[in-house]
Amino acid sequence: MKRPNGDELQKPGYEIPDELKGSVVVTTLNRLYNWGRRNSVWPMMFGLACCAIEMIATAASRYDLARFGMEVMRPSPRQSDVMIVSGTVTKRMAPLIVRLYNQMPMPKYVIAMGACASGGGPFKEGYNVVSGVDKLIPVDVYIPGCPPTPEALLFGLMKLQQKIEKQSFKEVYTKPDYIPEPVLGPDLMDPRDYPKIREYTQKKLQELQEQAAQAAQG
Amino acid sequence: MDGRGILNGLAVTIKHFIATYVDDFKRKNRYFTPEGVKYRSSPEVEGIFTIQYPEERRILHENFRYIPFLVYDEGEDGQRDIRCTACGICAKVCPAQTIWIVRAKDPETGRPLSKPAEFYIDTTLCMNCGLCAEFCPFDAIIMDHDYEIAVYSKDHMVFDLERLLKSASYYQRIRPTQYAEKAAEREAKAKAKAAKAARRGAKK
Repeated sequence: MKRPNGDELQKPGYEIPDELKGSVVVTTLNRLYNWGRRNSVWPMMFGLACCAIEMIATAASRYDLARFGMEVMRPSPRQSDVMIVSGTVTKRMAPLIVRLYNQMPMPKYVIAMGACASGGGPFKEGYNVVSGVDKLIPVDVYIPGCPPTPEALLFGLMKLQQKIEKQSFKEVYTKPDYIPEPVLGPDLMDPRDYPKIREYTQKKLQELQEQAAQAAQG
Repeated sequence: MDGRGILNGLAVTIKHFIATYVDDFKRKNRYFTPEGVKYRSSPEVEGIFTIQYPEERRILHENFRYIPFLVYDEGEDGQRDIRCTACGICAKVCPAQTIWIVRAKDPETGRPLSKPAEFYIDTTLCMNCGLCAEFCPFDAIIMDHDYEIAVYSKDHMVFDLERLLKSASYYQRIRPTQYAEKAAEREAKAKAKAAKAARRGAKK
């Protein structure tokens, strides 16, 4: 795959007369707009698990996200375009991820990085893991791997750039769908009840001990 | 003296910075060529470099592992001889249980054959641990080096037999040392088997 450059602005898909070649640029608004949009995809500074370490490595100078115009990791969802879901999505974290997604301005994109984010990974059947972030929010690019190497993430981001390129101006600025935040179910134990539970178990334990003592005597 | 540590640190940084660019005058073809990448990732080079990923690639270690693939040997008349015997060891050792195998059946007698009819690896689960490749007694499943597999839709993330099959020459190209070792091992085994058969024949 080639890294995107400004070439496509020179090839608008229209016939340009010879005398005008090299002196004017003819393009569509969509193309111009997407060219700018594609080269400044700002990710959200947001990591969930071990894939986040690989994401940090991608942003560092060895692989350098800045070459793609993505170096500005925004610490606020209001300023970011892409959410890299890097790691295991636990049920505890699910409402927060959805809330962050809802707070992002349109057009917004989601990358599921790694096995856990795309399908739950080895924790798929775990009691506390959402098996794939696509159960909660729409995902644009899936990157398999555990964790994906920095190059694999860059490849996924380039795929996203290609997707952005093909989008139409009109369709990206639709009203965002509000995704209702998932609600955590009741816990097995309420922390406020801990003293009661402790009392109950102590009592039970004492009873059992007394029974054992009686059995030893009798 | 106070502040010496800071000065030392700054000196190290500027040393790296200068070393990175001094070599540019001495040497050419350091960028965007495989030799350039090789030189820049070698121990004798000084300075710090970015890997300009889509144009140039990091030289992967032979034991680098990504999603596994199935090996087939090329036959003389171009048919693909799949090494996998559908024994199911890989499916059993897989910690994430990503592998699903269906054994092929003889179309006439209906008896099971030692070939897979279907073979699936769910890449949404695979964690690249390499246990399948380690346990395979036939060197049929090998960890790949191809990491460029990002997709737009989850439907393409379950790899089927056709997607997984790759030739033995590809295996030899990405892991030459391992390939040579395993080939020698298999040859020795075949030789021992032949000798045993010959001895048994002589006894009779």
